[in-house]
Amino acid sequence: MSASAIDFSDFNLFKKDEPLVVTVNDAYINVHNGAGGGYPIFHVVERGEKITLLKMYTEWIKIQTERGVTGWINRSDMALTLGPDGEKPDFPDTKKADYLVDRFEFSAGYGDFDGAKSFDLNLGYRFTKNLSTEIRFAQNTGQYSDSKILAIGINHQPFPDWYVSPYIGIAAGKIATTPSTTLIESEDRNDNLFQASLGAYVHITGRFFLRAEITNDYITTSNNSNEEVKEWKVGFSVFF
Amino acid sequence: MESRIQRIFLISILLITAAATSLSVRADEQKSADDDELGKIITPDLKRRTIKESDLDTENFELGLYYGLLTIEDFGTNEVSGVTFAYHITERFFTEAAFGISQLQKTSWELLGGGAQLLTDEQRDLNYYNLSLGYNVLPGQVYVTKKFHFDTNIYFLAGAGNTHFADKNYFTYNFGAGLRFYSTDWLSIDLSMREYAFTHDLFGKDKDTNNLEGRLGVSIFF
Repeated sequence: MSASAIDFSDFNLFKKDEPLVVTVNDAYINVHNGAGGGYPIFHVVERGEKITLLKMYTEWIKIQTERGVTGWINRSDMALTLGPDGEKPDFPDTKKADYLVDRFEFSAGYGDFDGAKSFDLNLGYRFTKNLSTEIRFAQNTGQYSDSKILAIGINHQPFPDWYVSPYIGIAAGKIATTPSTTLIESEDRNDNLFQASLGAYVHITGRFFLRAEITNDYITTSNNSNEEVKEWKVGFSVFF
Repeated sequence: MESRIQRIFLISILLITAAATSLSVRADEQKSADDDELGKIITPDLKRRTIKESDLDTENFELGLYYGLLTIEDFGTNEVSGVTFAYHITERFFTEAAFGISQLQKTSWELLGGGAQLLTDEQRDLNYYNLSLGYNVLPGQVYVTKKFHFDTNIYFLAGAGNTHFADKNYFTYNFGAGLRFYSTDWLSIDLSMREYAFTHDLFGKDKDTNNLEGRLGVSIFF
């Protein structure tokens, strides 16, 4: 058989994934009986013992020992094990900015849009440590009118490794304004919108950040007078 | 003629044996590599590969259904049902999006006023959505036998969203607490309370309302 031939004999869609087996490379690793630091340690796995990684829930990994004991170990304990290739498993450091590259970001915030209460959702993607793009959706509920914003933007984060890391962003999109029903009849409006924002991420834990932002909105209205609206919001951000 | 046939046979035999030996040599080579002590060391039973975090199956998402009772100030207590979608960020923090539907009853004023209608039937349909940030406190375990146990969690959450009824959206803050009971790693039962606070001007003046909900839900983790 030639070495270059593709081996189809191994190809099976319904084949179970090969178990992920690692070997303990420290004096011992604590095994908890639940996925949390508060749950009691009921077992330890010792140096040289092989453990199978079953699944992950937040920063806890469910494992099975060779004798069939199942329990949970902390994600950080993976650094105390060796994979089948004799290398440490590749579980990146959650405190490094590289950890967030190539990840999606979901953030939600609450704030104020020119006196209206604002609720907004962002879905973004981080290309590099510094650069990300996002789709922004906001619903503003005001006393005299409600509005919805849909925009797409780019953010630049010059110092991603900082604990409090500032960013600047620009975005463009549409704003749809609906006057309150209790007011005198006036038409719905659909206008173009440009946003310039200044904000910051505050690292809380792992992939979880606090996010605050001040935005200047420029709305190009049909009656030739552009509106400028100040907006602020505070929320949280998750990378996944 | 005879010699010619002989030659053909000879050549074919030669070719076959040559092919066969070359094949067997290859097979031997393979075999010797396997038999070789060095070969055993270089090619262990396990495949040489680096384990990456992405190889592991994660179960951080949660999809749930709930049913309960929602009291809206002045509009009575009604059945409420909804769906939740949650993402567990750490063992403590999670974020939850919820969408629920309910209905409004007639106000006392409408009932006593004899036929006066404040809202049409359509305007009595209520739906809400919100997004909250939750924090697990008091992780616990319930022991059924000495070794068999269930995990539990008490959580608090707060967030905001919109409540829609009477053709209008009302910006709504929500607060809540609940007890989550994990029957397995991937199935949990949720008994919780929520409070929805919003302001409406349906009676002519702005009115701050506090609306309570009690509910029972079931969710799966994936």
